[in-house]
Amino acid sequence: MRGFLAGFGLELRIVRAAPDALMPLLTAPLFALVFLAIVRQSGRADLEADALLAPVLMTLWWVALQHAGHLITGDRWQALLEPVIATPTSLATILLGRIAALMGLGLLSFGEVLIVGKLVFGVGVPFEHPVEMALTLLATAFATAGTAIAFAAVFVMTRNAYTFTNSLSFPLYLLGGVFVPVAFLPGWIQPVSSGVFMSWSADLLRATVKRDGIGDFWSRLAMIVALGAASFLLGRLILFHVLARMRAKGELATV
Amino acid sequence: MPDAVEVEDVTRVFEPRKKKDERVVALDEVSLTIPEGEIHGLLGPNGAGKTTLVKILSTVLLPTSGRARVCGHDVVEETKAVRPLIGIVFGGERGLYWRLTGRQNLEYWGALYRLPPAAVRERTRTLLERVGLADRADQRVEQYSRGMKQRLHLARGLIGDAKVLFLDEPTTGMDPIAGREFRTLIGELKGEGRTILLATHDMVEAETVCDRVTLIDRGKIIATESPRSLGHVISRFQRVDVEGAPEPVLGRIAALEGVSAVTRTEDGGARIEVSEEGATAEVLRRLVDAGVTSVRTSLPSLEEVYVQLIGERGLEV
Repeated sequence: MRGFLAGFGLELRIVRAAPDALMPLLTAPLFALVFLAIVRQSGRADLEADALLAPVLMTLWWVALQHAGHLITGDRWQALLEPVIATPTSLATILLGRIAALMGLGLLSFGEVLIVGKLVFGVGVPFEHPVEMALTLLATAFATAGTAIAFAAVFVMTRNAYTFTNSLSFPLYLLGGVFVPVAFLPGWIQPVSSGVFMSWSADLLRATVKRDGIGDFWSRLAMIVALGAASFLLGRLILFHVLARMRAKGELATV
Repeated sequence: MPDAVEVEDVTRVFEPRKKKDERVVALDEVSLTIPEGEIHGLLGPNGAGKTTLVKILSTVLLPTSGRARVCGHDVVEETKAVRPLIGIVFGGERGLYWRLTGRQNLEYWGALYRLPPAAVRERTRTLLERVGLADRADQRVEQYSRGMKQRLHLARGLIGDAKVLFLDEPTTGMDPIAGREFRTLIGELKGEGRTILLATHDMVEAETVCDRVTLIDRGKIIATESPRSLGHVISRFQRVDVEGAPEPVLGRIAALEGVSAVTRTEDGGARIEVSEEGATAEVLRRLVDAGVTSVRTSLPSLEEVYVQLIGERGLEV
């Protein structure tokens, strides 16, 4: 637990000293405005809440991909990876703490879009099922964190990780149905989407703002958690093998 | 009680990453033992294998073959037992979070050694004072000078209360005063019973603080001895200082087998350096035969031994 808290505290201090990790929090309100303008233009007031929720999911994913995914690479380039590995705390624990801090910051986007929606368009998110909404957001943050660990382990092995991360954002927004539900995508894509935790998150989050009851809430929530746990375990496994390989090859530090 | 550090026939080979690169044997069947409480110097030129050995002992690099143990624990098989016992300080300016303050850096590293929060704060405060950074503790590391960063590195190595410290070029960038304070600190750490492996280029540093030194070159250990007696171990590198030796006599001595150099000194004398066992006796016989009686033999300093053994290969690595 101390390692987790050390990583959590470290990341908050880093972000405080260098707030560039908060960049997605600047874009979230802008995306909210764009999406709200689109649904207004289309005369679809029923989608206004969806337009506000999509940027929250996008922000979480963006933070995971662009910041959490590069944590190990950053430490390696700053010659911090070797001393971290040489301490009694496992890198995965520290990493989880750091990513949890980033996810917590990413969730601030929820408050942002609420404010922007109210101030600019006079619309808000109907809290029809607030507890379910909170649980869905937490499960989504957990699943995103699990995926980020896998990214961090893979990216440290690649030379052009930034190109990869730049090109991975929008396909996930599409496959994850963050704004347009997966049901509207071509049929052959839908099976792929069902393996992406974000598609379950987006659908469930949208369901929590509808007045109707949420069908199969717990099983859908469990699916998000399960996919997140699978990502987390896969990330741990990749990290274990990547670190073993780097220790063997002498690649924990850059020259 | 096991030795603090045991290295048995450790070899480390770096395979080429590209076809055009060459295979590098960084360590070649290196064996070394460091008893508890000893300050051990590891001397060698760039590329000798010092950092590779330190990294293997720090559990961040695997040996290709051989075994290494810290306080009886294998550095490959028992990393969980080794890591709480060691502290590492790598040279250079990197290895710190530059945008955080010195205090924040130390508090983070302290937490990684699983110290309770109150102990982390207290230890951080003590160490910042000990390395002379108490007044700058709340400044960002990016505002530190190179020497200050090096001192913070040292504090980081000590935050976990390590029994065995691996210091790789720890005084890089320190000014002479800070270097002297560092040597005092090393003495204090020895007084606390810690074992230190100090990889360095600095002969004065090695001679001043080390109980024993190991000379390493091209991955092989050349000699391990106390700095003062290392000259005896390689007594073939004796030198003979003479006064009033005629030039022709010096010329004939210079031509002898085993005489590596004859140089005139500023006071009009000459220094004859030998590089083979038994050559000193022949030099002395020639001098006495020539009627030269003002003769003094001495052993080389650690630096001269280093130069003789490692070779004056300039910038070549």
